[in-house]
Amino acid sequence: MNIDAKLQAWLRSHLTLEDALPTQMPVYVNSMAYFFGTATLSALAVVIGSGMVIAIFGPGWWHVSPVGHFFNSVHFWAVEIFYFGLVLHMLAKFFKAAWRDGRWRTWVIGLVTFAVTIFSGITGTLLQENWDAQWNAVQGKDPMNALGLAWMNTMDPGQLLTLHVALFPLLIVLFAAIHIAFVRSESPVRPIVLGSRRGAR
Amino acid sequence: MSTRSEAYLRGVPMKRYDMIREGLIVLGAVTAVVVLLAVSFGTPDYPTVTGKEVATKQPMLFLQRSLAYFSGQSGLQTYGPPYTKHDQNAQEVFGFISPARWIGVVNPVDARHDLAMDPLERIAVLDPEVAKALAIYTHAPPDQQQRWIKSYSAALRRATDDNGRVVLPQGDYGPVATLMNGMLSLARAGLLEGTLDSSSRLPYDLNNTKSLLFLEGPIENNVARHLNELGNQWGMTNEMGPYPGAWWLWSYAFLYQLPGIASSPNADLIAGLIMATAFLVLIFLPVIPGLNRIPYRIPVYRLIWRDWYRRFEGQP
Repeated sequence: MNIDAKLQAWLRSHLTLEDALPTQMPVYVNSMAYFFGTATLSALAVVIGSGMVIAIFGPGWWHVSPVGHFFNSVHFWAVEIFYFGLVLHMLAKFFKAAWRDGRWRTWVIGLVTFAVTIFSGITGTLLQENWDAQWNAVQGKDPMNALGLAWMNTMDPGQLLTLHVALFPLLIVLFAAIHIAFVRSESPVRPIVLGSRRGAR
Repeated sequence: MSTRSEAYLRGVPMKRYDMIREGLIVLGAVTAVVVLLAVSFGTPDYPTVTGKEVATKQPMLFLQRSLAYFSGQSGLQTYGPPYTKHDQNAQEVFGFISPARWIGVVNPVDARHDLAMDPLERIAVLDPEVAKALAIYTHAPPDQQQRWIKSYSAALRRATDDNGRVVLPQGDYGPVATLMNGMLSLARAGLLEGTLDSSSRLPYDLNNTKSLLFLEGPIENNVARHLNELGNQWGMTNEMGPYPGAWWLWSYAFLYQLPGIASSPNADLIAGLIMATAFLVLIFLPVIPGLNRIPYRIPVYRLIWRDWYRRFEGQP
């Protein structure tokens, strides 16, 4: 068995260069609704970029440096824009029934990514070294404990920091990459045509 | 284009496109908006509530909290998993769904020892009066200890604050008053949190569980109420001040506004399970009859693809 040949064949059938870097698109991809996903990804890039700068100087940096405060603000507002885009993206996909024609995996991995971002956001809130972090740590412990998630201790910044800057970003980027790979491999779902076999699925 | 995409898009008119170019334009626009918001509004920030601050400004509140831990009467003493073995206090639904119980004691906390006796033993090294009081207390019979605690607790309710000095009515508190004053002094010196969190791994310690637990309860609830951050005030979805918080958790926060859930001792588990169920419904929505037809009944799709329908609807 030639692994390279197998991989080439798989890529030809699933994800060619034209899929990864498309130079043409179906004409029905013509709506602002298609920008929501791109806006979400762009906000994610800003979140990660500002997060990397903050990671270099540490979670207490923004309390002692105006530059640190700026990057913390960028991080904060990028998260707000990220969820704004994400919610619109999810609504658009829902109302397009975008899971049709075998796209359920894209739908599922998107939701799983969303779930991971929730935990990433919570851990970030708890690392602010201010009142909101303090209050949410003691308030958040009860639901986490009740749900059997006590291994993620909302009052242990050492653990939270590693989760927030390593594990959760890794999972989010990985899942988002898989999500996008599915989108590009399967091409944008066709418009709904009532009465047609394709549209009804 | 991949063979599967070619098959799927056969017969569909195509247009020229540049994904990277579009992505860079959107990235530029989003970055500009974010930077504008960051420069204009900054970040919400409100300082932490410290033991020093509470002991200085609200000494009686601090002493009540210290006494609760010292007497073993705090709620934390019998919280249940993951802190203590009191399984009966773990949240449960239907009598058998109790993930906290299943997980067990993974972060053991003995409130009386960790939040009162242990700090007092450290204060005793520095303060001979506290050392003497601690020796008297620990060698006294349990019923005597309880009498001292009871009379001190009653006296604390009638105590007055004389410019930061707590004045107790006359009474027999044994060594308890000295011990509690020791806790007050420790906090006023700004050493409470460090003492509570220091462990055998010093100088390395990244875990603030005990110091965060100490001030939990009435002290922090007052601050949170002032900042509109209590659970029944939509909790975590509010950042302090005029800033948007985690508004995407509104559906979760909403559950805590429902009287039936908010008043339940199992509120966190009930709300969490409802959210987990809702997530599973979303995951399986494509195959749930009825729900997967909603997009067809509320035809927002006709707005999204209006250009396509105008040009191609009805064509074979």
